[in-house]
Amino acid sequence: MSGPAAAPKIVVSHVSRQFPADEPERGLALQDIKLTVIPNEFVCVVGRSGCGKTTLLNLIAGLLRPTEGEVLIDGRRVEGPGPDRGMVFQYSALFPWLTALENVEFGPRNLGVPRNQRRALALELIDLVRLRGFESKYPRELSGGMKQRVAIARALATDPEVLLMDEPFGALDELTRAEMQEELLRIWEARRKTVVFVTHSIMEAIYLSDRVVILSPHPGRVRKDVRIAMPRPRQRSSTEFMAYYEDIHSSIF
Amino acid sequence: MTGRYSARDIWISWSGILFVLVVWQAIATFGLINPAIFPGPLDVVRAAVTLVPPERVLSHARTSLTRIAWGFSLGAGLGVLIGVASGWYRRLATVVRAPIELLRPIPPLAWIPMAIIWFGLGESSKVFIIFLGAFFPVVTNAYKGMTGVDPDLFRAAQTLGLHGWRLLVRVALPASLPDIATGVRVGWSLSFGALVAAELIAADRGLGFMIMNARELGQIAVIMYGIIVIGALNFLTDWLIREALFKRRLRWHFAS
Amino acid sequence: MRTSTVASSRSQPPGWSGRTERAVGALTVAVLLAAWELAGRAGVLSAYHFPEPSRLAATIWDLVVVGFPVGVTVWQHVGATAARIVQGYVLAAVLAIPLGLVVGGVRALDQASAPIITFARSVATISLLPLAVAWFGVGELSRVLLIAYGCSWVILTNVIEGVKSVDEELIRAGRMLGSTPRQLFTRVVLPASTPRIFAGMKVALGLAFMVIVGVEMIGTIKGLGALIMEARTFYRSDAAMVGMVFIALFGFALSRLLDRLERVLLPWSGSLEEVER
Repeated sequence: MSGPAAAPKIVVSHVSRQFPADEPERGLALQDIKLTVIPNEFVCVVGRSGCGKTTLLNLIAGLLRPTEGEVLIDGRRVEGPGPDRGMVFQYSALFPWLTALENVEFGPRNLGVPRNQRRALALELIDLVRLRGFESKYPRELSGGMKQRVAIARALATDPEVLLMDEPFGALDELTRAEMQEELLRIWEARRKTVVFVTHSIMEAIYLSDRVVILSPHPGRVRKDVRIAMPRPRQRSSTEFMAYYEDIHSSIF
Repeated sequence: MTGRYSARDIWISWSGILFVLVVWQAIATFGLINPAIFPGPLDVVRAAVTLVPPERVLSHARTSLTRIAWGFSLGAGLGVLIGVASGWYRRLATVVRAPIELLRPIPPLAWIPMAIIWFGLGESSKVFIIFLGAFFPVVTNAYKGMTGVDPDLFRAAQTLGLHGWRLLVRVALPASLPDIATGVRVGWSLSFGALVAAELIAADRGLGFMIMNARELGQIAVIMYGIIVIGALNFLTDWLIREALFKRRLRWHFAS
Repeated sequence: MRTSTVASSRSQPPGWSGRTERAVGALTVAVLLAAWELAGRAGVLSAYHFPEPSRLAATIWDLVVVGFPVGVTVWQHVGATAARIVQGYVLAAVLAIPLGLVVGGVRALDQASAPIITFARSVATISLLPLAVAWFGVGELSRVLLIAYGCSWVILTNVIEGVKSVDEELIRAGRMLGSTPRQLFTRVVLPASTPRIFAGMKVALGLAFMVIVGVEMIGTIKGLGALIMEARTFYRSDAAMVGMVFIALFGFALSRLLDRLERVLLPWSGSLEEVER
């Protein structure tokens, strides 16, 4: 199951986060979260609405600072967002004034990568997410699934070692969602990254991840940490799969 | 309207205008309305050629256009500046918005008497009125555009390596451009209206003045001529804005 | 207190709470007025160019009670302006709404009229004033007709758009529920286009207001526009400024009136953002 002990990629150490002063809710959004993710691991975070999954993701991303505790990436404390942690949002958050290709080039451009190089890099990623032929389209002209492919390509363009995904397939219809799950696994196998994936869907979590972390709400706490010991590709209808589902489902409800 | 026009479509489109022109000329030719006060289209053309030489019209037009160019640039420029700044720095917005919101309901034309008191009867007073016409829509829309940017766009940009003022330039500004463009279009149309009114009320040059002058001389045909020229200019400039701004640069937002 | 919003500050821009914001806004205005008053008293600002707020307050009373010109109170001016707006506006509505409904429903008519409408709208309403005076004299008629002209085209455009943009699905649903063509029109198309029509009516009212102020500055001494113009002629800058305040209040009241009306007549619809000016 595990090789020699790998230095953890992400360490969330005794992290708590209060609700900001201007929000109607009070108290702690997250309380004393402990989470360790090893390199190239695929971890899903699940839980009911309001359990703080997105807050946790934003803390790892550096978009928020913890009120207590710290988040470490490769042993170094997270001080803010950066191109070493790529992020994919539920509604793709593509820049509408840029074409798909320009969106993907956005990160490298900020990092000062010269034009030819970043164009080549971007096209390579467009190929990876199988959108060749659509690179000159604006987000307005793309379907939901296509936009998410661009979003993934864009997040990968800065070659982050960590990929953070906030319910990326939540806004898609069921068929597209299943397709995107396959695509994501394929991309992940091709470009090994450490992935933290937030989702509402237990089925999705079991299908995709090495580990499922369950958070319970009010305040957000780690309820359970389930290792999914099934080889991929997994069968959603298998008894083993169903067993995991029962286990996780009963832990949430 | 997209798609190709059939010959029939073109015919129908033009039939309306042709119909109006024919009826107009007919009324004039058969003297159904006193021809002294109701010249037909042909009379207008004749008056245009004889009574007001092209150089004079062009000179008036140039005066008018210069005024609106100045007034609009100042108004839109300041509007974008204040709108963007107050959209980015919320504290600034709190201070600036109250006076602006209080002054906004006053139509630009209502400022004319004070403009004359402050600036006299020269060019500045007209430019000021035009400035007001452009300023308010632009500042309102720029602010709206800036504050309406999807916060996820900022988050995404941050995870892609952007910080501080570069977020303003490379995310907030492009994202608010559609709203700013709308403000510019509305501002232009208000500026134009303000220009015409100001020239009718208090000017000694310009297209508006040309019309007023013609009325005093009893040259109805020239009045009509002036009205048509102003209308044509209005249409043309608005069309230019739509083409250059909305259809080209902003096609990522506006469906053609 | 700002805790840990570091780079996230762009997602939640720093600022004060809602109540503080309003207070600061009010304070700013108060400070500006106070500075204006002081500058005027100290002689830094000329009383002619910038009459102080205290003087303006007195003038408000003056206009309301004594009137300017003497005998014509500000309410009479408001009444004159309002009368012109109402007459022109109603005339425009009565002409443009039925016409728009017909044109919107018949494709050929819509196509034929589109260039005419576009051109007519490009004509600056106020530029027609000299023509109106030449034809109809210097009385109320030319003013009312001018307002009617300006409003008609705006209302017409929006009525046509309203009819054309009725959701196909609504029409299909109506058909499936057995409506005759006439019923389809009165019970589906008409109600469905009302929000857009109303939005156009609002824009038209705003336009009427702007146009009438300008029109009243030429050739009449009654009406809000006339008031401020006359004030200038007699070097009463204070009356001109107060007149502007009344104009703003009047405009504000007009738009509030329409909003109220909309809520009564169209409780089921949200307000439209996109409107043809």
